[in-house]
Amino acid sequence: MTIIWILLAFLVGAYLIAVLESWAVHGRLQPARPAFSALALLGRESLLARTPDRLFFEAGPVLLLVAGLLAVAVIPLAPGLIVTDLATGALFLNAALAYVLVALIMAGWGPNGAYGMIGGWRFLGQFVAYAMLIVMPITAVAMRAESLSTVDIVTSQAALWNIAYQPVGFALFVVAAMGLAWLPPLDLPTAPGDLAGGIEAEYTGVRLAVLRLARMTVILALAGATVTFYLGGWLGPWLPAPVWSGLKILLVAGLMVSAGRLVPRVREARYLALSWKLGIPLALTNIFLVGVIALVVPI
Amino acid sequence: MILELMIALTAGAAMFGTGLYGALSQTNLVMIIMGVELVLAAALVNLVAFWRYLHPEEPAAQMFVLIIMAVMAVEMTVGFGIAIARFRSRGSVEMEEARELKG
Amino acid sequence: MTGMTAQMIFLAFFGAAAVWFGIVVFRTKSMVRSALALLFSQTAVGLMFLVMQAEFLGVLQIMMMATEMSVMAIFMVMFMMDPGGMGAMDMTHQKRLSLWAGGIGLVAALAVIWLAAWGPAVPNIPGAAQQAADLGRELLGRSMFIFQSAGLTILTAMVAATMVAIAPRKERKE
Repeated sequence: MTIIWILLAFLVGAYLIAVLESWAVHGRLQPARPAFSALALLGRESLLARTPDRLFFEAGPVLLLVAGLLAVAVIPLAPGLIVTDLATGALFLNAALAYVLVALIMAGWGPNGAYGMIGGWRFLGQFVAYAMLIVMPITAVAMRAESLSTVDIVTSQAALWNIAYQPVGFALFVVAAMGLAWLPPLDLPTAPGDLAGGIEAEYTGVRLAVLRLARMTVILALAGATVTFYLGGWLGPWLPAPVWSGLKILLVAGLMVSAGRLVPRVREARYLALSWKLGIPLALTNIFLVGVIALVVPI
Repeated sequence: MILELMIALTAGAAMFGTGLYGALSQTNLVMIIMGVELVLAAALVNLVAFWRYLHPEEPAAQMFVLIIMAVMAVEMTVGFGIAIARFRSRGSVEMEEARELKG
Repeated sequence: MTGMTAQMIFLAFFGAAAVWFGIVVFRTKSMVRSALALLFSQTAVGLMFLVMQAEFLGVLQIMMMATEMSVMAIFMVMFMMDPGGMGAMDMTHQKRLSLWAGGIGLVAALAVIWLAAWGPAVPNIPGAAQQAADLGRELLGRSMFIFQSAGLTILTAMVAATMVAIAPRKERKE
């Protein structure tokens, strides 16, 4: 029963994110827009490129959706409202999201088109930049919670949320998460206006609808991860727990899809240089500081 | 007789055989690296199976798995470093074209 | 311990998947497919770990291999003449020798596995959280030196590989 509730909650969440994203892109709040565009996509013919790698072409969007759903499975919405509380939840989230890369490479390579392929391989370059900055902040979070379980991580923040405890880790994690969900300004794999849609260029109809839904799921999973790791999950006064998680996740996801649009797109070489020369030293400092604080001040 | 252990070890043996065949038969350096990775994965399966069914109280067995994973990463890194250098100087990483290494 | 258990069925299934994908690696002509087949073989190995209740190792294997094999895929595309496998060229040599070597390796391993006396099974294993804690204590306790050397080896390999791969200066200027 829990699974159905969580799935429903995330479907609604994905819809709301789609509304928010179209608001950020078009400047007008149209609550029905994602429904109409989804219907339009479902009604449209799903074209097949010439001599595609058929297996990858079909499997790419589906694998992306599966990766997003698996990541959602370890995000707690309230005490007890979680699909599986794994003892290694934080690591599992990471493992599930690693398959986003695989799915994008498959989706880029599959249709046998130049734009798609460049988009897919660009994401690999981007991956090298963000991968470490997803893992290392999570390490610091797990150090404070003394557990990899996402539920334990949330309860460890009862006294003080991690955003105040380790703000550097929070900033690094959010930037890396935006790279993972290829949100602007790090939207190189799709890069509208530069790559003509990149990995989305050769997808039409149902397959594109699945790809877009999968991407919304990935964004939601990342927002959920940010809330779980840094914003105290379901913790909060007055309101019931699931409402708090829902509000926080929507807020984070809304900020993630909209804020980056004010910044010009970042080339992957620059992103790589910044991540490795600035981000990784900062992440290591963060781990060190968290260790020292955890030893000295018992919060 | 522990049937689970047998199944896991048999799968490991089959992966070992496949990996050995691949590492010996392929002409391309990257494909050879893939064969070696398969062999190492077979070793991983065996180690975890031994840990699970014979010595579950011994965390050192799990540590050994971590070391093998590190070996896989190192093997790939060094292999690709050599591959890039070779490709830059000779324009290919085909084994048949590297006969001068025979001496 | 007799009779079929769910664990056996899952182990056999994922074991077969790992072996099958491992064979696909060397049978397909498309290089990207070959790298991703290896990825799925390794993922099946990770799932076998999960079936064998080694949760931390299984998740770690699944995570690490996704990255490693994607990197493998791009190297395949970079170094191969025909990464898409459209030309269906043959990329093998000494096939007979390799088949014999692989076959003998397989038969020898199977003989050892099925003839050895493995002793009694140990039914109780620690829970997943306990395992992770034990592993951490092992890494930072008795095996700390080995762990540190592994880290140092990786660092050395990274530096060495980068040094080997960097273009010589005169070539870079062009």
